Amino acid sequence: MIIDVQLASLFTAVALVVIGIFAAVFLDNLIKKVIGLAFIGDGVNLFLISMGYKAGGIVYIQLPGMAADWFAQNSAYPLPFALVLTSIVIGASTMAVMLGIIIVLYKKRGSISASKILGE
Amino acid sequence: MNFLIALMVIVPILCALFLNLLHKKDRTIKVVTVLLALTLPALPLLANYGLHYFGGYVPLVENPTLANNLPPLITDTALNTFHPAITYSFQSAQQLFVFIFGLVALLAIFVSVFETRRPSGVYAYMMFMGVAAVTAVILTDDIFNLYVFFEIAALATVGIVLVSNVKGNYETALKYMIIGSIVAPLLLLGIALLLGVTGNVNITDIIYSIKNGLVDPQNPVILMACALIVFGWLYGSGLPPFHTIKSAIYSKALPSGAALMQAFSVFIFVAMGIIILRIFSYLPFSQWVILGVSLMAMILGITMAILQTDLKRMIGFLAVGELGYIGIGLGLSTAYGITAGLFQAVNEAMITAILFLGFGVVLYQTGISDTRKLGGMMVKTPLVAFLVLLGGFAMAGVPLLNAFQSKLMLIQGSIKAGLPELGVIMILLSIVTFMTFMKAFHAVYLRPMPDELVIKHEKIPKATIIAMLVLLGVCLIFGLFPQVATSYLQPLATSLAGGIL
Repeated sequence: MIIDVQLASLFTAVALVVIGIFAAVFLDNLIKKVIGLAFIGDGVNLFLISMGYKAGGIVYIQLPGMAADWFAQNSAYPLPFALVLTSIVIGASTMAVMLGIIIVLYKKRGSISASKILGE
Repeated sequence: MNFLIALMVIVPILCALFLNLLHKKDRTIKVVTVLLALTLPALPLLANYGLHYFGGYVPLVENPTLANNLPPLITDTALNTFHPAITYSFQSAQQLFVFIFGLVALLAIFVSVFETRRPSGVYAYMMFMGVAAVTAVILTDDIFNLYVFFEIAALATVGIVLVSNVKGNYETALKYMIIGSIVAPLLLLGIALLLGVTGNVNITDIIYSIKNGLVDPQNPVILMACALIVFGWLYGSGLPPFHTIKSAIYSKALPSGAALMQAFSVFIFVAMGIIILRIFSYLPFSQWVILGVSLMAMILGITMAILQTDLKRMIGFLAVGELGYIGIGLGLSTAYGITAGLFQAVNEAMITAILFLGFGVVLYQTGISDTRKLGGMMVKTPLVAFLVLLGGFAMAGVPLLNAFQSKLMLIQGSIKAGLPELGVIMILLSIVTFMTFMKAFHAVYLRPMPDELVIKHEKIPKATIIAMLVLLGVCLIFGLFPQVATSYLQPLATSLAGGIL
């Protein structure tokens, strides 16, 4: 059975978001929480990428000799890919700050348990 | 092409980067920071109204030379009018918002530089980055660009808290980031759904697609996008259920930082509220969602403020309650109501800054923000007490001051819109706001000074008094001549109410 690539990507994206929310809400270890948060961001990025997918389409680079009409009809939509690049950068920055804070808190408290550090 | 529109965002970013390089050069930072901050309110006064297309990529309809070489598949369709570049829109309402925000930012930066002996380049960096981000949120007509700067504003907020060196700041900052890291991707998901349905991230183009039948307006995907964007709006502005973390964030910052961060919340609230109204106002329930959320913010914010014993948390909750007034104005969806809501936003940003700065003097002198341990400060700082009292009067809507005019307009607007019940609730909550403020004022200034209270610094920072006087001066001008502000806001309000944006 051939699975539609776009549909499979969308299902994977939903799974990543759900797993991420579960980890971020229910896991006590702060590092695991951050990994869960990364899953949410990755899921949304995958969702965006899968929207730009075009079955049988071509990469959105117009090569010499390609008719503009044909290119406009057959190339994938480039905007979501550009957005995802920015989103990845934002996600990486946010994660770096969060991990930095966790390192400081670990040095102060000697623990990375959310219930011990944030529960007070 | 008006480059000054883009410079309103680019200049604070460059200032931030430059100041970061000056870290540990205390005297240079002091002078340079204030000089650079002067550009913040100046730029919106110098710029002309209009649109700015980044990269100079105008819509094809405005560029016939390029359009001639393209196939009819593009030029004969709506693609001809779509905006290929990130677009910033600068009209009279944006001018007033960016000016007032720039003024609050200038004064907060001014206070931060002079209230500490060794000003930090990193702290100034965070403040300028936050200013750039929120200015972009106000100006942008691109919903993904809004998301990017929404995230930068959140990071700058966390940065301000981390640099503030207040007990428990790391824990609160981490909580704020964890919540933000769940909400922000969901906001992006909402934007992605809109992109999926309309093929656009430009807000004007999204509205064009919905209104001209290029997409089905009742598509459930659009409804889902609406819900997710509203969720992001609640987080960005600190409305329920995020009001407790927002007020906690304010309480873990220095007063100057808190004054600036509440302005972030106010203008993010307004900018995103306008975008939600522009895109989703055709949905019959959008008005009721905005009204419901705002009413909840008013009631929860103000009632929780009564219970607080920490000054900064109390002001934080009052600020959340005041956001509710702005939301009521937007939710009324009439030109008069929206003008009142936007006017209230401008007033709220200044008044809450006055209160944070004023009570910040108490914190500076005593190192205590717990009202149970304070008292008798009227003797020590009569001038500051008077200015704080005026700030409190302004927040409660006492006549002659600015919020009286905006709250009166809101009440009139709710009656005109056929919702007088809202007017009654707003009057009652204004009374509760006044009582809450007077309770804190009595605890800090009027009751006898506790024996164990030690005054660490006798000298009052002059920068704070200057900042409060300037803000109160503008409050008084807007209170006596409200048309000075409302004339800038009416064109936008009329367009929003008429659904022509």
